[in-house]
Amino acid sequence: MKKVIALALTAVMTLSLAACGGGAASSAAETAESAAEEVKVEEAAEEPAEETTEEVAEAPAEEPAASDDSKIINIYAWNEEFKGFFEKYYTVPEGYTVNWVITPSDNGAYQQKLDEALLNQESAAAKDKVDMFLAEADYILKYTNSDFTQDVEAMGVTDFSNAYEYTVQAASDANGVVKGVSFQCCPSALIYRRSIAKDVLGTDDPAEVQELLSDWSKFEAVADTAKEKGYYMTASFAETYRVFSNNATSPWVDADGNLQFDPQIEAWIAQTEKFIEKDETLTAGIWDEEKNVQMFADGKTMCFFGPAWYFNFCMGNAQDPEKGCMGDWAICQGPQAHFWGGTWLLAPTGTDNADVVADIMNTFINDEEVCSNLVQNEAQFSNNQAVNAKFAEDPDYGSEFLGGQNDTAVFVELAKNIRFENQTIYDQLLNEGLQSNLQEYFKGNVDKETALNNFYSYVNETYPAIVTP
Amino acid sequence: MDRKKSGISYAKWGYIFVAPFFIAYIIFTLTPQLMTFYNSLFMNYRDGLMQVGPKFVGLKNFISLFTPDKSGSIGMLKYFGNTMILWVMGAVPQVAVALLLAVFFTSTRLNIKGQQFFKTVIYMPNLIMAAAFSMLFFTLFSPVGPINKILVSSGMAKASIDFLNLKVPVRVLISLMNFLMWFGNTTILLMAGIMGIDQGLFEAAYIDGASSLQVFKNVTLPLLKPILVYVIITAMIGGIQMFDVPQVLTNAKGTPDRASMTMVMYLNNYLQTSKNYGMAGAISVILFIISAALSLIVYRSMSATYRQNRGRHRDRDK
Repeated sequence: MKKVIALALTAVMTLSLAACGGGAASSAAETAESAAEEVKVEEAAEEPAEETTEEVAEAPAEEPAASDDSKIINIYAWNEEFKGFFEKYYTVPEGYTVNWVITPSDNGAYQQKLDEALLNQESAAAKDKVDMFLAEADYILKYTNSDFTQDVEAMGVTDFSNAYEYTVQAASDANGVVKGVSFQCCPSALIYRRSIAKDVLGTDDPAEVQELLSDWSKFEAVADTAKEKGYYMTASFAETYRVFSNNATSPWVDADGNLQFDPQIEAWIAQTEKFIEKDETLTAGIWDEEKNVQMFADGKTMCFFGPAWYFNFCMGNAQDPEKGCMGDWAICQGPQAHFWGGTWLLAPTGTDNADVVADIMNTFINDEEVCSNLVQNEAQFSNNQAVNAKFAEDPDYGSEFLGGQNDTAVFVELAKNIRFENQTIYDQLLNEGLQSNLQEYFKGNVDKETALNNFYSYVNETYPAIVTP
Repeated sequence: MDRKKSGISYAKWGYIFVAPFFIAYIIFTLTPQLMTFYNSLFMNYRDGLMQVGPKFVGLKNFISLFTPDKSGSIGMLKYFGNTMILWVMGAVPQVAVALLLAVFFTSTRLNIKGQQFFKTVIYMPNLIMAAAFSMLFFTLFSPVGPINKILVSSGMAKASIDFLNLKVPVRVLISLMNFLMWFGNTTILLMAGIMGIDQGLFEAAYIDGASSLQVFKNVTLPLLKPILVYVIITAMIGGIQMFDVPQVLTNAKGTPDRASMTMVMYLNNYLQTSKNYGMAGAISVILFIISAALSLIVYRSMSATYRQNRGRHRDRDK
């Protein structure tokens, strides 16, 4: 802060110098400008780190393309996952440039960046208009149920016959108007270490393991056995959070704006308390390094939960050529069916490249070759039922990472159970906030009541519209 | 009358020269400040993508800031306490060490070699962005970070210590970082102050047989007071606005148990997601009042003794 003041004063001084003599004015003004810029940099430094925004612009292919502002396609995203697939499998029409605006989603930073852009969409210059943006299940409702997104069917995305129904339903507003598509389907499975399962359960066969872990009481019993043998059941207190929360029968916020805890959330807290007490899980957060090191070959954790994207996106350690344990993994449904995440491509109102955006959407749900590549090369579970079925029935298809198991076949079954309901526009930050505040309780820093009170303070600060108990 | 006509009014130029500062001050400081006062009286936030308000609610925002929550604690007071604790923990050593270094560096008797080098080195941490500095400490002290690895492998700790989730270590780390970043700056300022003191006074004191400590206490310190007041007030305003270091170190959460949440972090919580200008404005107004009051107290108490001393000197001179 002091530096900002100092720089501001310097700028003022330089300006006052400029007032002295007309001749020196221009150079002094320049210095003042550069000083002002420094001030801006300083201010940026004072902003939280998560707001650092990476703007990646592809080098303009040719001069005329760069000069036509409307031919710049701005895509907003919170990580590089989709960008990777896009660059590999989608051919951008000649003359267009793609500009990625990537902001990490931590603490809602991505939503903030996106909201600002969408609220300014009308007045934005052609080159700055958002043409497409990505959204997650936790907050997609906020965008689909608003005038900031538009009907993709009118843009030319009409064939949803191969897409999973819930992905279309999730992208639709209250009147059933479809506002976007998902390029993946995200049934989540229990991912277990084969070697540890053999030691604990005596088998690593997915069907038998599923039989032994098919409900929560069995899961907890196995956790005790695992503990006796020196293993952790899960590596994060929040590992099972999604499994419970996805099966909630009521939304986070009721019709009158009151915060409510679903019985499934209560069940998660109760189970985690037990696990922590018995030292059967770790107090690390779901994305923490402490959890991730458990995926190395010398890790002591038996179970993880995640959909197809989890393998490449989160299990890098397990795939490490030296310290990893490639092939020592397998998947089964686990105690409760659930889904996790999923990336939807949404079309904002006011895009000046509707045709290209529609083409991108069509490609990622209906182009058989692209969808096959996603499954085969990227370990994704595509949003194209025909393609998935093809791989599920292929006896030669199997994942090297899962020791040859056909993961697509498992996911095809799990996808049938996905229900997309009880969502609110607040879910991402409520889920994050509950986990991070309860983490302190599970770590033993505070008692449960304090942790919940801190969660309520967090909710009051984040969402003034929600009434806390 | 005649004299006024023929003479040149130099006062005019004085006003012209100071005008840019006042113009900049009115546009960039005073107007936003008044706007903050105004905004703090409204209910004004965003719910999802929907704008709620602005609707005039009087002092409701202030009242809700000082309403105790279920556990009976008032957030505002708690975060004010945190801020003051963090500031004192960092500022006291900052000023003390800076004073010591400044005396060493300016002493003609010690005549330390390589002064330029040391001055550069102590100023260095200030050149790193606070966020980057904080990130560095976050990585160093994380449960899987190098400090824990050293502690565990050398047998000093049995299991890795979760420094960033323990109240005292987090506060110590934040204060340490603020101290490291600012003591160089303070040293340079105090050195300038000491060098402004007539060297003859030190020599006279030494000839009179004063010890180094006596010289420091009776010559350096009283004459350094104006600069010291400035240093303390700027450090205090900086301290009340503490934000970047704890924000990055605790990932905006002020862990553990919100014990390292400062007032500006609290303000930022309101502003980040819901753009709650009403509540954030109310906190800003309270921050302004606190800063103004504390500055006034420090200024009064420090400069009163200074003026007294000056008065005494003047009497003696007569």
